[in-house]
Amino acid sequence: MGRVIGKPTPLIDAVQKVTGKAMYTDDFKFPNMVYVGLHRSPHAHAKIMSIDTSVAAAHPGIKAVITGKDIPIAFGVLPISPDETAMAVDKVRYVGEIVAAVAGETPEAARAGADLIRVSYKPIKNFITPDESLVECSEDEKIHQHTKNSKNIHKIADLSFNDPKDGIASSSFTRSVDFKFAGVTHAFTEPHSTIAVWNGDESLLVITATQVPHYLHRTLSKVLDIPLHKIQVKKPALGGGFGGKSDPFPHEMIASKLAILTNRPVKCTLTREEVFLTNHGRHPTEMTMSVGCDVAGKITALDTDIVIDGGAYGSFGVVTSYYNGVLLQGPYKIDRFGFITRRVYTNKPQSGAMRGHGAVNPRYAVEVVLDMLAHDVGMDPCDFRQQNFLSENTKTVGELRITSNGIRECLETVRRKSGWDDRYGKLPNGHGLGVACGFFISGSALPIIWNRYPQTVVHAKLDFDGRIVMFSGASDIGQGSDTMLVQIAAEELGISMSRVQVEVADTKLTPVDLGSYSSRVTFMVGNAAKQAVDKIRHQIAASVGNEKSVPREAIQFADERVFTDDGKLNLTWDEAVDIAMAGRGAFVESGFYISPKLGGKFKGSGAGLSPAYSFGAFIAEVKVDPMTGQVSVIKVWSAHDCGKALNPLSVEGQIEGSIHMGLGQVVSEDMRYHNGRLLNANFWDYRIPMTLDTPEMDVTIIESNDGEGPYGAKEAGEGPIHPVLPAIGNAIYDAVGIRMTELPITPDKVLTELRKGGQQ
Amino acid sequence: MQKVKLHINGFTRTLLVNAHETLLDTLRERLNLTGTKRGCDQGSCGSCTVLLDGTPVLSCITPTIRCDGRKILTIEGIGVNGHLHPVQERLASDGGLQCGFCTPGVVMTAVPFLQENPDATDDDIKEALSGNLCRCTGYKKIIEAVRHAAEDLRHG
Amino acid sequence: MSTSSYFLPGTIDEAVSLAKAHPNDHVFYAGGTDIQLHVKQRLIKPNTIIDLTAIESLKSVSIQKKNMKLGTMVTLDQIVKNPDIQKFYPILAEAAKSIATPVIRKSATLGGNLKVSNRCSFYNQSFDWRQSVGSCLKDTGDICQVTGGLNHCYSRNVSDLVPALIALNARIMVQTSTGINEMPLIDLYVPDGLIVHTPLGVGGIITEIFTSDEPSKWWFKKLRLRKSLDFTSLTVAATVNKKDVLRVCVNGVSMAPVLVETGINDVTLEGLILQVKRACKTVDNDYMPLKYRREMISAFITDCWNTFH
Repeated sequence: MGRVIGKPTPLIDAVQKVTGKAMYTDDFKFPNMVYVGLHRSPHAHAKIMSIDTSVAAAHPGIKAVITGKDIPIAFGVLPISPDETAMAVDKVRYVGEIVAAVAGETPEAARAGADLIRVSYKPIKNFITPDESLVECSEDEKIHQHTKNSKNIHKIADLSFNDPKDGIASSSFTRSVDFKFAGVTHAFTEPHSTIAVWNGDESLLVITATQVPHYLHRTLSKVLDIPLHKIQVKKPALGGGFGGKSDPFPHEMIASKLAILTNRPVKCTLTREEVFLTNHGRHPTEMTMSVGCDVAGKITALDTDIVIDGGAYGSFGVVTSYYNGVLLQGPYKIDRFGFITRRVYTNKPQSGAMRGHGAVNPRYAVEVVLDMLAHDVGMDPCDFRQQNFLSENTKTVGELRITSNGIRECLETVRRKSGWDDRYGKLPNGHGLGVACGFFISGSALPIIWNRYPQTVVHAKLDFDGRIVMFSGASDIGQGSDTMLVQIAAEELGISMSRVQVEVADTKLTPVDLGSYSSRVTFMVGNAAKQAVDKIRHQIAASVGNEKSVPREAIQFADERVFTDDGKLNLTWDEAVDIAMAGRGAFVESGFYISPKLGGKFKGSGAGLSPAYSFGAFIAEVKVDPMTGQVSVIKVWSAHDCGKALNPLSVEGQIEGSIHMGLGQVVSEDMRYHNGRLLNANFWDYRIPMTLDTPEMDVTIIESNDGEGPYGAKEAGEGPIHPVLPAIGNAIYDAVGIRMTELPITPDKVLTELRKGGQQ
Repeated sequence: MQKVKLHINGFTRTLLVNAHETLLDTLRERLNLTGTKRGCDQGSCGSCTVLLDGTPVLSCITPTIRCDGRKILTIEGIGVNGHLHPVQERLASDGGLQCGFCTPGVVMTAVPFLQENPDATDDDIKEALSGNLCRCTGYKKIIEAVRHAAEDLRHG
Repeated sequence: MSTSSYFLPGTIDEAVSLAKAHPNDHVFYAGGTDIQLHVKQRLIKPNTIIDLTAIESLKSVSIQKKNMKLGTMVTLDQIVKNPDIQKFYPILAEAAKSIATPVIRKSATLGGNLKVSNRCSFYNQSFDWRQSVGSCLKDTGDICQVTGGLNHCYSRNVSDLVPALIALNARIMVQTSTGINEMPLIDLYVPDGLIVHTPLGVGGIITEIFTSDEPSKWWFKKLRLRKSLDFTSLTVAATVNKKDVLRVCVNGVSMAPVLVETGINDVTLEGLILQVKRACKTVDNDYMPLKYRREMISAFITDCWNTFH
């Protein structure tokens, strides 16, 4: 075997995409379709006194008008915090929150209708910054009634092992540094879009740009009070997600409700500004990172105090709160370890999950602090890291089970390729190198919605015509999971990829998958797919073996033939399929994946558990202009341990995309607010690096061959973003001797630090 | 409203448009040419690039009324007789796309660019694509793919 | 639904008479890249659009060493790529190349860039956004939101070509219904964010820009975060001609471009910086912070000075 797995493989939908034929949600049209217009709040925090929809309803072309009271059932992607409704019911909690919606005959009519809705508000105290939310206020001013102690704290997550504070106090070297991170957002290129159709049999079809059809399926059933089996959620081609299309969204519920009310197909496509207001991006974060080490540079303890700004609603925030802390347990061995994260509500668009979920900001902080400690001890930062790495097949202090681990090889690789030993600390002023490492989960071992189901099920169908169809609920969001399904089937059955097709991300046709987030798909869906296809192979072998009187164990599958090595059996694929069809016709086999039972017995032990972890080490080279303070990232060397690259082309693509996205957060991207109003809700002012801003990239894939991953594979989609940011931050130190502790590192901040003199 | 004649992908269409309708709306909403993508609708991402008399323009900020009597080429009109253009071929084979949403705009920018600059270097390609926002690839494989396409075109 | 009229005149005279016939509600449409952004955000809703695309005489380029004449419908892309401009007026090619993106530059024109709208982080926002803050002076409101209530608009002139052209001592030809006038380009700009441009007279249209200045030294720099797409946060263009006249033009930090013209030996660096900073009314209405932009004015001028000396 080894025919397609491990080979650079173009995406199966690549030709559709380069010809403009791939159908994204907004590309679909239905006969007699109406369009949604949304009326949004101009206030950050205000009571809704009254809503007058009469003028809007009477406007030509308006078919229906709804407000919060029409869909009042609360939801939240985490069942433990259902704090949001499709539209604001009694009060609004951020500028841009949806208050009412109309369905209009044309997009223009819908827009005009939405503008004609009149809402009377009574503004109440705004909580724009985390500091404002951490102090007591009067009970009726709170953003959400369920928060405790008259404060706007959504969640406190904390864990502590072996008295880390004492550990730090008794360390030979300690550093305790404050960091601040602006919020950033996914900025996928395809705006959110949904089409809802109310069928004649009172069932609902929702075509939507989602990473997680399953959660939307469940949420629609809940908020619309329609049985699960009457709802079909389908994801067509999807223009990027990065976590930003993981939650069930208000516009999806609104379009569905309007489809039911008007009995007509409804389309709702958000403008780019609305996409920014929908947000769910990375939490703005403030933290104090404290780490100690001994004279030999061995890390003795880590303790961190974190505040994350959740915005107006919960989203994945409880998970984010834990990930900020627990994912500091690697890739270094730290025995005395603790964190506390407080997630606060503020009157801004909500934060949620974004690539590298929860762990990106603390990773920046810890890698910068480790760099400082290395200098304090007088060690090379690579040597310092190398001697502190976790080994393979071990457990962290919080009982995360580490299996395969290629971190050492990752660091050795980038160190060698970048010429680190000859260049670090020796480049001219204004020019520097920096190093950082990271690790990330390959899927969460525990599902969000607790049940005894597997985390994914894949069906594989063999049909009389020799085709294999893979049925999976996993969402290809551009990362290439559909291609992976085809590769696995072709690999296992020794057939060409062109014989394999997919039916995916359709809650009517495909078994439940928990969605494309937390880097779970390759590991979990890959394993399930392999299992399903293996069963097909066994079935064919059984039928052929029986009919041709050869032992089924001796039957091989390769090059579109089914044969035995001794030459006694030599069938084409079609001949073998024909035998397998006899007496039963097309059949389906099922594979599934359930994570092994992992983790400790303490409260909070479930956070960060994963069947496998990816690892990585990056080195960045930067130049800093002393006149303007502008940072140019020239080159990034990256080495990422993804276990086994099922499709190296895609793995490289994920690493390169991570470098680009990490670069954006570290040098130019931020969500800027003026009294709670987003100032840069467009691509002119939300500054994503373009071609000329993006550095040269050197990518190395390290394969540690995980024992439980499919063919040894682990994740590659999120892990590679973590080391990017601190590698750049540390390179700035090497270049000009300043420690940048506030992101994004814009030129004005660099200049301010340069003026202070640097060399901390 | 004014009557305009548009020569789109080799076929002539006559439509009534007002002064503010954009070419992007005309293509997507009225002519069902949905290969041209609406990424930002404000001239800042390049996803909606089409060719107007052979020159790339952002269709989201081009009023249709200005296109009267002119030739428009969209992604649907690229490639001949069912064959992909080398730029399309290479973007597909070399990993020059992931989610694919920016891809039609990249194709419509790179194709006329290579026509004018058959010997383009990587730096030239980077400059040429500096208005095409891609959030997935980090641009590396896009630039490589366009360079490979240039080589393919040179060697016929 | 819009009821705007659209005209496509074939000659300048025709364009001028159309403008004269619609005195209060016409816009000249050149590349349209800036106007369209404003239409989308409901900042303007032109009733009469006079499209200049078909006027061939506005597209001429004539460069004879010392004398450059450019029609206002010449695109930025043509300016970037013209070998004579690259040779004799490289500052102009560099300024053009710093604008927007290569594809936008194929539509955007010289004339459009001369008359690019002033920008402000409180004005260039969506209709809903502006409504939510209570609108501003430049929009439909009564006060400036940036300064917290002043009755003056500090929106920024963001043209990158204009400072380069002013540093080249460029002049413009204006055709109106009463004739053809000539004026220095700098006189086109009014340091008031509401007025922005000097009224050109009935039906007035800028037809041509020309210069016969031949700089012996030039300097150009644009402050921005990304190497493409970004509007300027500060653009400085400067030349020294054969008579040792230094012309420094600063844009992006005030309502209009600021010019200092002096003999290069008649001024100190400190004096020059002071003159520029005094003339700039910079407020916190850009992506980059106010203090930083003011510091960069000094830094850019210093760098320029050092290059020239």
